[in-house]
Amino acid sequence: MAGSALRRLMAEYKQLTLNPPEGIIAGPINEENFFEWEALITGPEGTCFEGGVFPAKLVFPPDYPLSPPKMQFTCEMFHPNIYSDGRVCISILHAPGDDPMGYESSAERWSPVQSVEKILLSVVSMLAEPNDESGANVDAAKMWRENRIEFNKIAEKIVRRTLGIPT
Amino acid sequence: MPVVPLERLPLPSLRVYSFVSVVALSACTYYAAQIIKEPNWNYPGDFDKNDDNFENRNGTDSDGRTVSQFVSDIFTVMTREPVCVWTMINMAFCWFILLGRAVQKLVFGDLRVSEQQQLRDKFWNFVFYKFIFVFGIINVQYIDEVLLWCSWFSLLGFLHLLSQLSKDRFEYLSFSPRTPFWSHVKLMALLAAIFALSGFMFVVSIFVGFFGGLNTFFFMFYEVLLLAIRTLHVIIRYAFHLYDVRNETTPPTATDDNRTLDKRGPVSYYVELTFDLTALIIDLIHHLHMLLWSNIFLSMASLVICMQLRFLFHEIQRKYKKHRNYLWVRNHLEQNYPMATKAELQENSDNCAICWENMDAARKLPCGHLFHNTCLLSWLEQDTSCPTCRMTLNIQNPSVANMEPPELQTDPQENTRRPFNHFFHFDGSRYVSWLPSFSVEVSHVQAIRQNHMATNSQLDAMARQVQTLFPHIPLSTIIEDLRVTRSVELTVENVLDGRLIAPPMFRDLDIDWTPDRNTFTLNSEPEPSARNWDEYNTENVETEDTAALGSRFSKSSTEREKILHKRKEHMIKQARKRYIEKQKAAAVVAKSELQS
Ligand SMILES: [Zn+2]
Ligand SMILES: [Zn+2]
Repeated sequence: MAGSALRRLMAEYKQLTLNPPEGIIAGPINEENFFEWEALITGPEGTCFEGGVFPAKLVFPPDYPLSPPKMQFTCEMFHPNIYSDGRVCISILHAPGDDPMGYESSAERWSPVQSVEKILLSVVSMLAEPNDESGANVDAAKMWRENRIEFNKIAEKIVRRTLGIPT
Repeated sequence: MPVVPLERLPLPSLRVYSFVSVVALSACTYYAAQIIKEPNWNYPGDFDKNDDNFENRNGTDSDGRTVSQFVSDIFTVMTREPVCVWTMINMAFCWFILLGRAVQKLVFGDLRVSEQQQLRDKFWNFVFYKFIFVFGIINVQYIDEVLLWCSWFSLLGFLHLLSQLSKDRFEYLSFSPRTPFWSHVKLMALLAAIFALSGFMFVVSIFVGFFGGLNTFFFMFYEVLLLAIRTLHVIIRYAFHLYDVRNETTPPTATDDNRTLDKRGPVSYYVELTFDLTALIIDLIHHLHMLLWSNIFLSMASLVICMQLRFLFHEIQRKYKKHRNYLWVRNHLEQNYPMATKAELQENSDNCAICWENMDAARKLPCGHLFHNTCLLSWLEQDTSCPTCRMTLNIQNPSVANMEPPELQTDPQENTRRPFNHFFHFDGSRYVSWLPSFSVEVSHVQAIRQNHMATNSQLDAMARQVQTLFPHIPLSTIIEDLRVTRSVELTVENVLDGRLIAPPMFRDLDIDWTPDRNTFTLNSEPEPSARNWDEYNTENVETEDTAALGSRFSKSSTEREKILHKRKEHMIKQARKRYIEKQKAAAVVAKSELQS
């Protein structure tokens, strides 16, 4: 399995390097393990996460692209769709079989046609528009709904931390 | 949970252990030499006590007794003395460990954390089951028998562990595009050696079975067979992989003929299936034999064996169902979806959307999308829709669906997860009075990962504890380490010893982390406008070398790593600069507004 997965990952890496989407960098940190990548995602403009550069780790299964990778932010995040340990909860990362939240239609789920680039772009739009129905981080979802000003302040703090600016 | 943290037991280092073993053996030899000197041996010689080296085997000492005779005398004395016997066994064990260490250093180098974990689990699992076998099933009465079984199982366990380690390492190597040729050669040589040794052990088991009876032979034979099959399986998978990787470097025109040997092709599918099933069935027969032979249905041992039997049975059942599903999907595919015609292939210039490779032959779905046959098959095995447009295909396996409707609906991974967590409380005194009681949690890596999701809050709390001491290390790194160590003290030790370092990005930037960064308190927070943004001077971001970095995909993997690292650094610097400049501008605007 790993052979074909490796070839596909190499192709994706090449594409992401040659035609990188705006504000996104991704690739294996250490090519000794090509199945573990680090991605940097720039916070989308005009949102509370604007300007921040958020590092995340992507771990691919040996049967990629039949199964989706796992994605986890390695910086601190405060977002309705991100667990407190950084794991990202978006439908594109869920295999068609499992549906932990029970609200996703299978059309949004993982399929081998998806790619790292599409995942990262979905994450960018998730940062811009949280889906407050998913309960990955209940506190964040509640604050997003009820106290947007405070939420923005926390996001601002996180942005500064990722840039190495004292808060 | 009364889990014994095995890695935290105060085991002596290998060097100390070998030293102590050698000293103990020397002491025993000395003791034996003294015994020989005594009158009842009738050899009142005055030769040196440590004169047992084999160099002058043919030389004679002052009494006319040859050195070899002397050595055999010493050996006779030592085998009569229980303490000496144990010392010799200990020495043999020590040699064994040293040999294992040598092989590890030679072939594997440093073990990765997950390999160590896996090895430890396998080791204790093996020890546990063999203990049950020797004292619960065979019910040996004599110390010689125990010794014989122990030495047999040590050798067997050693080879099993090596085989397992090779498998793990092979899987890891297949994750990398730049594995040096020599690591493949070394690993293959080791696998071949294990396979050859299993042949040797087969001969031994025939020999022993000749004296010990048919049952003994079979009990030995199952294990040897399992070892041989598992090793051969890894060898064949390895060969396939190497073949696959070699194809990558050959020009694309050659690949279509070789596609039959692709990892997803039917050949490798059937090889995998045959090996997996054979190993499982042999294991099942082995356990059934043990259960029937032992005749102790209401004991701890039979309970353990029944648990294992249940697990094996479920595994076989699962494999069988999966295979039926595979056959069904394959037939459905062949009957309902035709291969794309040459014209259709030419019209569709895209690559296969699953593997991103060129298509020379493809199967066409009713929605008009084309995929490689093998790619499509492996996807449809787990989902019944077109990968591209999500059109639901009418694939439903009626025979399987009628048999076990709920089984099919559960996630296939769910099934594998369940049986992988064994928890044993082990009351040794039930078997032999002097044995200790302990509890072992044998959980496989996969299960461990699942567990972590549940204990995340605990880990978080621990990680925060560590982070108050080392604020420069990001929380995620600490959590990662805590997953392995499961103890705050050990992680702190790791940090102090430099084993745990902040990832490069965090290190380079030297971020000023505040210890209470996890509590989002907003009191006494200076407003951005009130800050003096001028004190943050934006360092000059070199733009010229990034022009060279961009839009290039190097062929060398180290260069790729370097470029990626530089690109990331550059991106963060740029973002930082942009942010500070924006804040400065905002501060200026705010000031002018205040003045007006
Ligand atoms: Zn394909
Ligand atoms: Zn389609």
